[in-house]
Amino acid sequence: MTLHETDRRADPRPSGGRGDDTPPSPPPSRRRRFRPGALLLFVITALLAALWLLPLAWAFLTSVKPEAETTAIPLRWFPTEFTLDAYRTVLDGGHFWLWLFNSLLTATVVTVLVVVLCTMAAYGFSRTDFPGKRALFAITLVGIMVPPQVLIVPLFDQMVLLNMVDTYWGIILPQIVTPAMVFILKKFFDGIPRELEEAALMDGARRWRIYWQIILPLSRPVIAAVAIFTFITTWNNFLWPFIVSTDPQFMTLPVGLAAIESGYGLRFARVMASAVLAGLPLLVLFVLFQRQVVRGVAHTGLSGQ
Amino acid sequence: MSVDTGPAATTRREPATASPPRRRRRNLTGLLFVLPFLLAYALFLGWPLVGGLISSLTDASLASGEARFVGLDNYAEAVGDPAVWQALWVTVKFTLLSTPLLVAVGLVMALLTNHLSPGRWLWRLAFFAPYVLPSTVVTMIFVWILQPDFGLADGLLAGLGIDADIGWLTEPNTAMVSVVLTTVWWTVGFNFLLYLAGLQAIPHHLYEAAELDGATWWDKLWRITLPMLRRTTGLVVVLQLLASLKIFDQFYLMTGGGPEHATRPVIQYMYQTGFTNFRIGYASAISYILFALILVVAVAQVRLFRPREEAS
Amino acid sequence: MTPRDRSRRLSRRALLGGALGLGSLGALGALGGCAPPRFSDGIPLRFWHLFAGGDGINMNQMLDAYRAAHPEVDLEAVTLAWGERYYTKLSMSGAGGRAPDVSALHLTRLPGYAPSGLIDPLRPDLLAEAGIREEDFPPELWRRSHHEGRLYAVPLDVHPYVLYYNVDVCERAGLLAPDGSLAPISGPDELRAAFAAAKEVTGHHGLVTETVGSDTIGPWRVFWTLYRQLDGHLLTPEGTGLAVDDDKVLRVLQYMRGLTDDGLAPREVDVNGAVSLFASGHAGFFIFGDWEVSTFLETGTPFSMARIPQVFDNANAQADAHVFVLPHRTDRTDEDHRRVYEFIAFLLSQSITWARGGHVPAYRPAQEDPEYLDLRPQSNYRSVADDVQLDPEVWFAGSASVMWLELGAVISAVFSGRTSPEQGVLGIRRVMEDLLDRPNPID
Repeated sequence: MTLHETDRRADPRPSGGRGDDTPPSPPPSRRRRFRPGALLLFVITALLAALWLLPLAWAFLTSVKPEAETTAIPLRWFPTEFTLDAYRTVLDGGHFWLWLFNSLLTATVVTVLVVVLCTMAAYGFSRTDFPGKRALFAITLVGIMVPPQVLIVPLFDQMVLLNMVDTYWGIILPQIVTPAMVFILKKFFDGIPRELEEAALMDGARRWRIYWQIILPLSRPVIAAVAIFTFITTWNNFLWPFIVSTDPQFMTLPVGLAAIESGYGLRFARVMASAVLAGLPLLVLFVLFQRQVVRGVAHTGLSGQ
Repeated sequence: MSVDTGPAATTRREPATASPPRRRRRNLTGLLFVLPFLLAYALFLGWPLVGGLISSLTDASLASGEARFVGLDNYAEAVGDPAVWQALWVTVKFTLLSTPLLVAVGLVMALLTNHLSPGRWLWRLAFFAPYVLPSTVVTMIFVWILQPDFGLADGLLAGLGIDADIGWLTEPNTAMVSVVLTTVWWTVGFNFLLYLAGLQAIPHHLYEAAELDGATWWDKLWRITLPMLRRTTGLVVVLQLLASLKIFDQFYLMTGGGPEHATRPVIQYMYQTGFTNFRIGYASAISYILFALILVVAVAQVRLFRPREEAS
Repeated sequence: MTPRDRSRRLSRRALLGGALGLGSLGALGALGGCAPPRFSDGIPLRFWHLFAGGDGINMNQMLDAYRAAHPEVDLEAVTLAWGERYYTKLSMSGAGGRAPDVSALHLTRLPGYAPSGLIDPLRPDLLAEAGIREEDFPPELWRRSHHEGRLYAVPLDVHPYVLYYNVDVCERAGLLAPDGSLAPISGPDELRAAFAAAKEVTGHHGLVTETVGSDTIGPWRVFWTLYRQLDGHLLTPEGTGLAVDDDKVLRVLQYMRGLTDDGLAPREVDVNGAVSLFASGHAGFFIFGDWEVSTFLETGTPFSMARIPQVFDNANAQADAHVFVLPHRTDRTDEDHRRVYEFIAFLLSQSITWARGGHVPAYRPAQEDPEYLDLRPQSNYRSVADDVQLDPEVWFAGSASVMWLELGAVISAVFSGRTSPEQGVLGIRRVMEDLLDRPNPID
């Protein structure tokens, strides 16, 4: 089995259709003559897509209107004058930049820690032998069944005890325990041919070097998937950061927007401007890394939800 | 299952072939590899898991330090607490309303776009983009859209000549429907991807054979596509069930659980019991009851999917 | 893969790597100090409150005045979402140990906080140094600011439920006295007649008031106003037994239901709907808290305000008071106490600014200030301060409390026609019995 094949097999199917991916089942009818059914299909799909994009478009259109026009009846689609006033107010006032920083910080640290801890653990479970390995792996698997949401009350109690309420660590640490990721990575590592590392072992390479120089480079796609999925879920996580941060100084963007009164009240241009700004980082990430994001979600979302 | 195609399926377990002295060293190394993760696991999963169980047997309070052991009183109270049942009913209602929609819409999206190769990235963008947004952003947008009179929903209906005097978020039933529709918009992209993957895993020769037999598009859909997607559908339904049990964000952010607690899910009741009303012990008991329910569903999922997965 | 593809992918990967790298660098820096970046070196003073809308604007003005007067202090003021959410966050921060230096509270919530250890008692000696003295506050508010002999709060205001009226509508309906204010109304029938006359003029509604909504509490406030006008009680004086008077409750609920049943008030309106109906002149009267005055001054509605008329035996009105408290901290020094008391004293001295938002100042010198007396319509109803009805003093009562939410739901159902007044009586009994049965979590 060549490396290339391993690599491609790790690709889940939904990513098919982009340049370098071979579609798994090429439809032979692609070059067929024009059918009216195809046009109908296209129109229906386009309408559905438009419906799905409508809320985003509406949020954006609202955000660039002068405040008075947002509540016009009958509703007006486009602003009479395009204005960025709402954005200026949102960015100038309040905690926006701080929350953005907090989100970036916590999501990045969680992602890095998850990748490090989980690849190490997965490697340990996949490739090494030690007493109690089976039992420990079974315990890890049991952890997948524990939804973090049901633990919020005792977790908060624990944070009070550890003096971690309103700290970055309080937000970060409970989010790094992702047994599902260990499971996914172990499954992948199990599939990497052993001949490679046997050869390295013959050369006297240490376990650490094998982990670092053979396993990790070969697992880039799956690690990227885990990292992207972790980053998105952490960035979007509401419940836990909401519980553990009572001080706005430590809130992440989604939490701050919900918990702190902006004083905008019914000023919807500003509300929508903050929604657009808060959604933008992830939308940009998604557009840039669409294939990886889709793979990450489809690959890891199943067991990671 | 197609999406989960790791290389695992093809791997044979090979026995470790190392000499005894090397093995001993490896013993230590192996443990070192898993130790950091297990430490985090013990601290931030094990501790609260055990701590929660203990405090569910006490009258622990957010405010005062001491907690008294009360045995199973909290569990008895929860079973007799109409608010717990109401919150569970909210969850069930949400599940019953949202699951069929999330399945049907996701499937339709996948069927529509499967062979529509031009602009596939665009469809994927349109249908899946909402999924990457934080719940706060999604609910901000929908609360705005559902504003009475000048919101987009009422505006569009008015454009059709309908004077919709609908309390989108203020009446019990419509509030539930509003949250369901918001959720469908937000998360259906995930199911869409699963179905797309399922569709692409169907061997093409099945269709070719059917075409030779003169099957119509409709025949192929009913005789090949849908049966072949049965497992994906099962998966989608189970995942939806698990997600519904844990739902919190949309309800809390859109309706706050109102009106009259008609849209208050279990997690929110737990949150309010523990943090608003200070009853950490009782809230822990509720979380353990919820946990038990989730386990039942999760175990059922494993039972449902494990044997066939191994067979395939 | 074509070379072009490769370079594109590489650059994407580089971008991701770069972003992660940068993020980690920042992460290490920030985590090392374990505090978010700060941009000032003043003495930090953190104040949490729940004042949005018009109140928020006035409060910000007062805070800005404080900042100008105390440049050495780095004041961080935070507006949290109102109601149950505010109280939840406040308790959690008290439990977490990094609570703000000072925060706003509703006086009626004190019985649920003072015994809990989630707020700290005040130091009377240091308070006096800052010029905050008992004789400057209404005795009842000062009394209720205590728990077991210790002072826990300093009152800022009293905010009653009041009657807003549209001057144009009332004039055309012949409801104004010669001086242009609302002619006295008294008794259940006169009030109904006034609403009917206003409805005649507007063509829509006579009265609007909040009847439904998520976490609706308006119906409870109307109920408590009228029920206290009959001297009704929910609990025994010591707060441990049920004292619901079924006849009086039924009378009040039937009266409220009559308003919606007979079309004098719309059946299903939430807070925002009620405000916009009154603002747009679709209703002659609006029963609500005094704080909505800023909205109508801004919308230019021709309106004024009065006490809620005496419908039954007296002219009581539901109210609460905003107070300042110290959320629990373990590390408060005398110096910290002094700084907070100076801050509170400063805000009290700005009471006139605060009163513009509709609230009746609790601070005596402000109550008698000509500038306040000239403030119209905000000082029209100041006499109600002597007849305000706060909640029973129990842990489960108070603004945005469980009791409000649960009674609010029951009364909303009656008010908006979803259940009968008789069922409402049973509902209120059931809620109160259930609340009394609940173990007090702060004992």
